[in-house]
Amino acid sequence: MNVSRIVTLSRMVWLEMMRRRDVYVLLILLAALLLCLVSVDIFHLSGVVNYAKDLGLLLAWLFSWILAVIVVSRELPGEEAQGTIYSLLAKPVTRGELIVGKWLGAWTVVSVSTTCFYALLAVIVLLKGGIFHWVTTAQGLALHICALSIICAVGMLFSTRLNPDAAVTTSFLVTGTSMFFVPKIPRMLFLIERDMEWIQGWLIAAYYAFPHLELFDLRRKIVHNDAPAGWLAAGQAVLYAILITSALLLLAWAAYSRKTLSRGRQI
Amino acid sequence: MESAIEIRDLTVRYQCPGGSVEALKKLNLAVPRGTIVGFLGPNGAGKTTTINVLMGFTGATSGTATIMGRDVKESISRERIGYLPEHPELYKFLSGRELLDMVGRLFLLDKAARRAAIARTLDLLAMADAADRRIATYSRGMMQRIGLAQALINDPDLLILDEPTGGLDPVGRMLVRKVISGLKSAGKTVFFSSHELSEVEMVCDRVAILSGGELVAEGRVADLVGGGERLEQYFLRVVDRKDPDDSGSGAAA
Repeated sequence: MNVSRIVTLSRMVWLEMMRRRDVYVLLILLAALLLCLVSVDIFHLSGVVNYAKDLGLLLAWLFSWILAVIVVSRELPGEEAQGTIYSLLAKPVTRGELIVGKWLGAWTVVSVSTTCFYALLAVIVLLKGGIFHWVTTAQGLALHICALSIICAVGMLFSTRLNPDAAVTTSFLVTGTSMFFVPKIPRMLFLIERDMEWIQGWLIAAYYAFPHLELFDLRRKIVHNDAPAGWLAAGQAVLYAILITSALLLLAWAAYSRKTLSRGRQI
Repeated sequence: MESAIEIRDLTVRYQCPGGSVEALKKLNLAVPRGTIVGFLGPNGAGKTTTINVLMGFTGATSGTATIMGRDVKESISRERIGYLPEHPELYKFLSGRELLDMVGRLFLLDKAARRAAIARTLDLLAMADAADRRIATYSRGMMQRIGLAQALINDPDLLILDEPTGGLDPVGRMLVRKVISGLKSAGKTVFFSSHELSEVEMVCDRVAILSGGELVAEGRVADLVGGGERLEQYFLRVVDRKDPDDSGSGAAA
C-alpha cells in the first residue's frame, strides 16, 4: 500500500464533493432547520439552551450518518457506472489502495462537515447565552468522528458488490440497526420471558454481530455539561473503532479484489 | 529478447443469461518490444476481453499473461504502461490539467516531473489551450485526446490503446497517427485494437487477427499481405475462413 496514492485517491473524493456542492446544500439546509427549530417556541422550550443543544446534536448525528452513507456508497459503483474505474485501475493502483483511498476521502469529508456543524451549533448556543464544557464537547466530537469511520467502512463494504441504491439501503439498514436497535438489546433481553429462548438467541447474535455505535455517543454529557468520559474508556472506544474499521475494510478489499470489471459473470 | 506482452493458453469464459460464452480460447500471442502491433478482429472476437485481462480488469479462466515479464495480476506490471480505453470516460469535474496531475501523482511523479510531463503531453496532443477547462465541456475528440495524454503521462514503454481513433475527425486521426509514429521512433511498444484497417496498415509493423476468441493470423503486415492485396481483403479472407458466424457472438467485445 502506497500512502501517496491513497492520499491522491482521497483528494479526488474531496474535489468531487466540493465541486458537486452536495455537502454545502445539506449543511445549509440543516443549519436553516436548526435555526427554525430553536426559534419557534415549541412547548415554551425555545429559551432553554439545553433544548437547542440537544436538537442540534441530534441533527448533527443524523446529518453525518446520512452524508456518510450516501457519499461512501456511491464512490465505487459510481466509478464503475461512469467507466472511470478502467482508467484508474490501469494505473499502478491496487484495489486495496482504491478501497482505502475512497474510504479515507469520504470519511474526512464527512468528518470536516460534521465539525462545521458542531461549530455552527456552538455559535447558536453561545448566542443564546449557553455554555459548553469544551473538553467534553471535543471528546464527544472525536468519538463521533470515530463512529463515522465505522459507518463509512460499512458503506464501503456493501458498495464493493452492490449497485449504489442497494448499497445505500443496506448500509442505512445495518448502521441504523447499530445506532437505534442494538443499544436497546440488553434491556430487551431483561424484559423477554425466560421461555422465549430463540428470540434471546437472535438478540444476542445481533448484539455481537452489529457494530456498537452507541459507544461513541456522548450527546447527553455534552447537553448537560458533564465532565468528559473516562480517558481509558474513550481510548478503548477509539481502539474499537480502529479494529472494526480495519476489519470492514479488509472484508471490502477481499470482496473487491476478486471482482471482474466487465459484462457477464466470469467462470 | 523478452516480449513486451506474452500471452499463453489464455482462456476466458463468461457466464451469461442463457449459458456460458468462451470469449478467448487458449490464446497465444507475443508482442515483441519496440514494435507497433495492430490487434484486429470483428466485433465479439475477444479483443477487448484480451485487453481487459492485460489490464487486470478481468481474471483469466486459465492461462497466463505477462507485461514486461510481470504477471498482469501484479499492479507493478502497470507502472511502465499507458492505457486508453475504447470510450475514455474521465472525471468530468476536473480540468484536463488537474486530471493529468492526478494521474502523475498515481504514478508517483514528483512535482517537477509532473509539471514537465503535463506540459509535454498537452503540447503533443495539442490540448494546451483547453487544459484549464473542465472536462465536462470537452468535445468527443478532445476527450479522446486528453485520454491519450493521460496514457502518456508516465512516458510508458508499452502503450495499450483500445480503438484510439474512434470518434475522431480526420485531423484528430492524423494527430494520433503522428503520436504513434513518434512512439515508434522512440523505441516504444504500441499494442492497439482497431477496426480502421487502412490506419493499421499505415502505422503497424505487425498485426494479430482474432476471430471467435482464437488467433487466426499473426505476423508482419508485409509478410501476411502480398500480391497487391490490401490488409482489408486479407482480414476478410482469414476471418471468413475461420467462421463467419463467430463475428456476432457478442459478450466478448
